[in-house]
Amino acid sequence: MTQEHILEMQNISKSFPGVQALDNVTLKLKPGTVHALVGENGAGKSTLMKCLFGLYTPDKGHIILDGKTVEFKTAKDAIENGISMIHQELQPIPHRSVMENIWLGRFPTKKIIGISSVDHKKMYKDTKTLMEELKIDINPTTLVSKLSVSQIQAVEIAKAVSYKSKIIIMDEPTSSLTENEVENLFRIIKDLKAHGVAIIYISHKIEEILEIADEVTIMRDGKKIGTWPVQELTIDTIITKMVGRELTHRFPPRKSIPGETIMKVEDLTSINPRSFKNVTFDLKRGEVLGIGGLVGAQRTELVEAIFGIRNISKGKIYIKGQEVTIKHPFDAKQKGLALLTEDRRSTGIFPMLSVEENVLIAALHKYLKLNFIVDKKTSSEAVKAAVEKLQIKTPSIKTQIQYLSGGNQQKAIFSRWLLTEPEILILDEPTRGIDVGAKYEIYTIITDLTRQGKSIIMISSEMPELIGMSDRIMVMCEGKVSGFIDGKRANQETIMKYATQFA
Amino acid sequence: MKKTISIILMSVLLISLLAGCGGGGQPAEGDNKQAEGGDKAGSEIKIGLCLYKFDDTFISTVRQAIEKDAAEKSKATGDKITINAVDGQGQQATQNDQVDTFITQGYDIIDVNMVDRTAASVIIDKAKKADIPIVFFNREPVPEDMDKWDKLYYVGAKAEESGTMQGSIAVEYWKNHPEADKNGDGIMQYVMLEGEPGHQDAILRTEYSIKAVEEAGIKTEKLASDTGNWQRAQGQEKMAAWLSAFGDKIEVVFANNDDMALGAIEALKAAGYFQGDKYMPVIGVDATAPALDALADGKLLGTVLNDAKGQGNAILEISYALAKGKDPELEGLTDGKYCWVPYQPVTKENMDQFR
Amino acid sequence: MASTNTKPKTKPSLQTSELKAILSNNAIYMVLLILFLTIGILNKNFLSLSNIGNILRISSVRMIIALGVSGALITRGTDLSAGRVVALTACISASLLQRPDYAYKIYENLPNLPIILPILLAILIGTIIGIINGSIVAYLKVPAFIATLGMQVIVYGFACIYTNAQPIGGLRDDFTNLASGSIFLIPNLVLIAAIIVAVIWFMYNHTQFGKYIYAIGGNPSAAEVSGVKVEPTLVKVYALAGGLYGLAGALLAARTGGATNNYGLMYELDAIAACTIGGVSTSGGIGRVSGIITGVLIFEVLSNGLVILGVSAYWQQVIKGIIIITAVAFDIRKYFAKR
Repeated sequence: MTQEHILEMQNISKSFPGVQALDNVTLKLKPGTVHALVGENGAGKSTLMKCLFGLYTPDKGHIILDGKTVEFKTAKDAIENGISMIHQELQPIPHRSVMENIWLGRFPTKKIIGISSVDHKKMYKDTKTLMEELKIDINPTTLVSKLSVSQIQAVEIAKAVSYKSKIIIMDEPTSSLTENEVENLFRIIKDLKAHGVAIIYISHKIEEILEIADEVTIMRDGKKIGTWPVQELTIDTIITKMVGRELTHRFPPRKSIPGETIMKVEDLTSINPRSFKNVTFDLKRGEVLGIGGLVGAQRTELVEAIFGIRNISKGKIYIKGQEVTIKHPFDAKQKGLALLTEDRRSTGIFPMLSVEENVLIAALHKYLKLNFIVDKKTSSEAVKAAVEKLQIKTPSIKTQIQYLSGGNQQKAIFSRWLLTEPEILILDEPTRGIDVGAKYEIYTIITDLTRQGKSIIMISSEMPELIGMSDRIMVMCEGKVSGFIDGKRANQETIMKYATQFA
Repeated sequence: MKKTISIILMSVLLISLLAGCGGGGQPAEGDNKQAEGGDKAGSEIKIGLCLYKFDDTFISTVRQAIEKDAAEKSKATGDKITINAVDGQGQQATQNDQVDTFITQGYDIIDVNMVDRTAASVIIDKAKKADIPIVFFNREPVPEDMDKWDKLYYVGAKAEESGTMQGSIAVEYWKNHPEADKNGDGIMQYVMLEGEPGHQDAILRTEYSIKAVEEAGIKTEKLASDTGNWQRAQGQEKMAAWLSAFGDKIEVVFANNDDMALGAIEALKAAGYFQGDKYMPVIGVDATAPALDALADGKLLGTVLNDAKGQGNAILEISYALAKGKDPELEGLTDGKYCWVPYQPVTKENMDQFR
Repeated sequence: MASTNTKPKTKPSLQTSELKAILSNNAIYMVLLILFLTIGILNKNFLSLSNIGNILRISSVRMIIALGVSGALITRGTDLSAGRVVALTACISASLLQRPDYAYKIYENLPNLPIILPILLAILIGTIIGIINGSIVAYLKVPAFIATLGMQVIVYGFACIYTNAQPIGGLRDDFTNLASGSIFLIPNLVLIAAIIVAVIWFMYNHTQFGKYIYAIGGNPSAAEVSGVKVEPTLVKVYALAGGLYGLAGALLAARTGGATNNYGLMYELDAIAACTIGGVSTSGGIGRVSGIITGVLIFEVLSNGLVILGVSAYWQQVIKGIIIITAVAFDIRKYFAKR
């Protein structure tokens, strides 16, 4: 047992009914380094971390922390032993201050007339010092509900540091950050490294890993493929090892030629004066129209308004030359529109319902007998066909969708809308939080759809994806359309130029 | 679309609310009209009526009796008597607030049916300060409280009396019907359906009914007793369970009120009683309309009339006299402040006079 | 606390773990069975045919109410008006079905109506109240707890106004026979409840409406985005519930042979508790008809059994509370099985 490693997870195995989630995985972590953990969804990264964090008990193997064998029963044990986790979905208490969130459960106390009470002054001072150490510019008394996602993340990191954590697990920390915010996060990470903290960094963004990590462990199907110093790896080698096959292209080849105009949007303006205004564009049959822009460009608001979820104050929408009024997603569905929302968890899946029910929900009306009884036979067949077509990996169509990986959930929502046989699919960040292999599959689905003459509107914040997939890119800035770029001629610089035009 | 629906809904709600108010207001208007007729002649008397709970069958009857008598009195004397009845919702705190409101509004008399009979002293102190006499009824404040001031009165029945009368009905039946002692052991095996736990009437009726039977020299054995919360459905459910548990061992059924007794009768009917010579004596209290019907039908053996009309009449007479500044000269006022309205046993033989 | 215990946990053999899974997935059925057998062993009269008939008859009305509430619960709502709607509809149906010779008839010159008419009227009134409930919840966005609490008070008021707080009795025999009678040894009430159970089961599992109910309960925003018209669906859920309370009210009047304005007191809480015992999640999206039936039966077996065992009224309350908590605590295990 070498003291070189602060943490050794040795031969960890964990199985769930029907799945071997972890198979003899060993992970060694050096202090003061960033150790990236990569792999497709379902590769076992999260399970491994949950074993470390006391949320799961491994079936086999042991965990050696600082030379001592440990077995954590709860997350609290883990935290108290110097392990913190910054979750994918951060869950602070919104209407309380930053400092209360950081010190929750261990408030500094003082005695007032013999009664133990919270020492707010000390809490403020401690928080201030902590923030200064990490060079985070947040007032300790600010309410957490007022903070941005990246600020909340910074607070969570500060909290981890306040526990004197020796190991911080970061699970997709950059998935909802802007580029500036990512830079800031990396600065904090480097600072933590300098203080000897070891970081386990889970991310799907390989560019980031190459930038920040010292060592990379790659996992696939519950097994460890290997650990390499980052210098020995490239994007391509990482992807190849993750997916287990050569990925020659990141995007499938596209040869479709957009046809006649199928949808026209004219002067669409939100009733919210701070949202989108005067948006005009058209969409052609078989076209992928990308929508680019920075966070806050009101792209999501625009597509949700088109789909009848948000209200507009003026503007017209034409489909196949006919003006349509869409006041509810029900109307949109009838007009041949489909929307895959940005936030799969809150507006996409029904976590407790089965894959079958999740896939069927939008197209139930097509599988009815006597107009109200669901025809189980035809509907099940349709779902099975859809699951097969998009290669959704699920033990059965009766499995609750919450147990599927993000990529498979997204494919299920794709199936949901494909069953409605839409003409136009609006995709809002269709590959967010999805691993590389699944991303490629989604791109293939999009390409296939355009080949069948379907039209796609795709919002994406990932530049390579936007450029790689779009026939045309509409760039928005502060709620207005700032320009259109031909897909073949698009590059990051032009998009950024338009995206910051009015800023 | 949504907006229209919202507006329609709001209007429906409003209209139904207004309609509700109108409905509730109607009797008041009626009172006013009657009072207006005699306005020139008489003075205005405002009586605040605090009830422990509106949904108590007996209390509602008392209230109706008071309101009816008040209307008649207004007509007869030319005084404008207004009765404002409020619902204490079974909570003493609510009732205290309601009494406060009556005091600040300068009511002449307050008639109070205590939620908690031991909590009268607060109300008495306030009334004494404002010099507004109080007529308590149905739930009797403790003697110490009643002695606090000379303008306190109480109208009610002696709850133990109702129990005693239930017992007497059972005794009479037992003596006249040897077959009532089904197992021939000379002991009366009975079950008891009790009212709401802690309710004074429930406790006293349970105790005194059996006491009366024992005092008549009949031994008793309690097979089971359980609370039916004054409710017919619960009376039925408990009785059904007892029939399963004891079958024909049960010889008499006592119920603290008629609703539970009638529930028990439904359970008995379902078990084949009241057909042929299969009979079970069931005794209730209150002499409600459905109970009288069951008496006539031979299914209920007896009940006891808690004289709601008599009590209502006494309450109004005392209140009216006090308002007029007279000492209430009512017959049967014990110790100058207690008016005991007697209970009356009701059986098939004498029931016609209570119809 | 972190322990230094490295001994690998021995895996339970497959058979015991399977048995465990079966037990934890069917905990509430086990609870019902255990209750049933325990009480039966303590007092053999409990298992008599007539007593089981009693339990089923009493459960029938409760089950119809619980099925009504379940829709509201599954769609993340609740319905506190249930008990009072039962009271109002019981009073209305009773008042229209009094014997012609009954001396205290509410409507003196009422002709002998066919029984079905007042029952349908009870269902109709319940449905109307339900529509109002649902509309307030769906369109005015008033939390269901508040909306139906308000309705509970309003309906109670109407029940008092309608009956003047006087009991209604003297019901026609053909009406009370509806509740006490039976066809081929199966009590009519049980038959009616069975039909309702079948209809609701079919509705929840085989119709578009049912799928929408679970979808709305599972994730209302996702349902909306999927083109489900959430508001009208919610109105239907509460309307259905109201209609079921109306039916339950009429049946309760028939069973007890009368009605008063204080009928149905706390029935809504019993129904919600029964649903919860039966695995209906109060956070929405989950709930099976079989669970609801079991929940109601646990409740009624317990109520009846404790009386038969002669447990004092006060202890009955204590024991009931303990069983409710225990049943749910056992049942909830199955959601932790994944750890």
